[in-house]
Amino acid sequence: MTSQPILLVEDSPDDEALTLRAFKKSNISNEVVVVRDGAEALAYLLPGDGDGDGLDAPCPALILLDLNLPKVGGVEVLRRMRADARTRLIPVVVLTSSKLEEDILDSYRSGANAYVRKPVKFADFAAAVQSVGVFWLLLNETAPGRALESN
Amino acid sequence: MQIVTKMIPLVDDAFVALLEAVPGAMVCIAANGRLVLVNAQAERLFGYERAELIGQPVEILIPDAVGGLHLEHQADFAADPRHGPMGSGLSFDGRRRDASTFPAEISLSAIGTDEGTLVAAAIRDVTAQLRVKDLERCNHDLESFIYSVSHDVRSPLRALSGYSELLLEEYGGVLGEEGRGYAERIVAVSEQMGQLIDYLLYLSRISRAELHLQSIDLGAEAGRIAEEIQRREPLRRIGFTIQKPVQALADRQLIRTVLENLLDNAWKFTSGRDDASIEFGTVPNSDAVVCCYVRDNGAGFDPAYAGQLFQPFQRLHAARDFPGTGTGLASVRLIVERHGGHVWAEGTVGAGATFYFTLDRKGSA
Repeated sequence: MTSQPILLVEDSPDDEALTLRAFKKSNISNEVVVVRDGAEALAYLLPGDGDGDGLDAPCPALILLDLNLPKVGGVEVLRRMRADARTRLIPVVVLTSSKLEEDILDSYRSGANAYVRKPVKFADFAAAVQSVGVFWLLLNETAPGRALESN
Repeated sequence: MQIVTKMIPLVDDAFVALLEAVPGAMVCIAANGRLVLVNAQAERLFGYERAELIGQPVEILIPDAVGGLHLEHQADFAADPRHGPMGSGLSFDGRRRDASTFPAEISLSAIGTDEGTLVAAAIRDVTAQLRVKDLERCNHDLESFIYSVSHDVRSPLRALSGYSELLLEEYGGVLGEEGRGYAERIVAVSEQMGQLIDYLLYLSRISRAELHLQSIDLGAEAGRIAEEIQRREPLRRIGFTIQKPVQALADRQLIRTVLENLLDNAWKFTSGRDDASIEFGTVPNSDAVVCCYVRDNGAGFDPAYAGQLFQPFQRLHAARDFPGTGTGLASVRLIVERHGGHVWAEGTVGAGATFYFTLDRKGSA
């Protein structure tokens, strides 16, 4: 089990509350850091925007990214993250209401690791969030931290 | 009119014949802005007789032509009055004899003659094209609307369902049995609404999907679907009779959806019978190359409501008797109509139903 946080990029306070609730019900104990738009996400992930500084905050073990975000959209956040060595290898799961083919393709093309559509029914939504957490935080081996810096 | 008699001999017969042969409206304008030649298409487009136009200023047809169509206003042109295109796709309003106007697209070419340069103007009525553009814009707006509905409505629905479930989980004891029942209804209804929204999205996707038409054996497809249905509920015995082959030109994925919906329905509505039978076959049809039907001996329907069957969210049976969202047949209709065919149904209460659909409209290929 890792002590790195989960970064939740979500503008809807309701979806935020329900996602946090779903994590609470699961065995995942990582801290969840919430940012509410794309600009805030980039400020968190890429402080100083490309001047080579490392993250001030701990590097997230997993990012749950909504697509339809104020200021900077989710796909743009992905693109900018993937262009930067510091965040290139962090697992990103797109978590969105959209199942538009364009959104799915754009997400994968921009470097998403997975794409999960939020179910309407809360029980299904909670199950989806828990599965994502278990897979990416417990089952999956992430890239070693060294690779992030030297890439 | 003096100008006319002076100008016309400049233009040879071959040119006049050519002007008549072009499929669109054409007029020739002299340097002073007066019409010197008009073809039959132009007469028809503007509703004038040729004699009424020759010698008249071009403004009689194109009220705003000044500066745009007058040679003497075009400095470059006066300097180099030779053959060649001057402009195409220019937008003007054309005016007919009855004073009605229409949006026109005009292309201009210069024609050098011994005694001066003429401007040949090809004029096209673009009313229909503009209408298509309007429709395309409307369609695009509608798609954005549907997308935003899907996103914007699903989020609050999830909240509705989520908070109701949290109420049940954490305050279930306080709510009492009746209160829990209400909260459960909220959960169920928000899920149902989620399905309806998904269905709207699905319909919008079908209506804009590109059709990949290929020759398909519908009988073989129906056979495969029947096997899948039978596998799902191996204990139910149903006599399937499937005609093979039934070749038709269709989009494989979409037509499969049609067959799945019709066969699933037949399966569902025969669930009360021990001697259930489902038949897929074809009948001759005067309008279409292929007319298929799916017939069952199940619950049937009241023919008085046959017209409602294919409307989205319409159900002729209570949900507790035959579950469903009332969307299957609406998809069937949409897909068949996208293929240029049509759908209808015949039935009697308690004596089964037959659903027909046509493909490959005769004479359309």
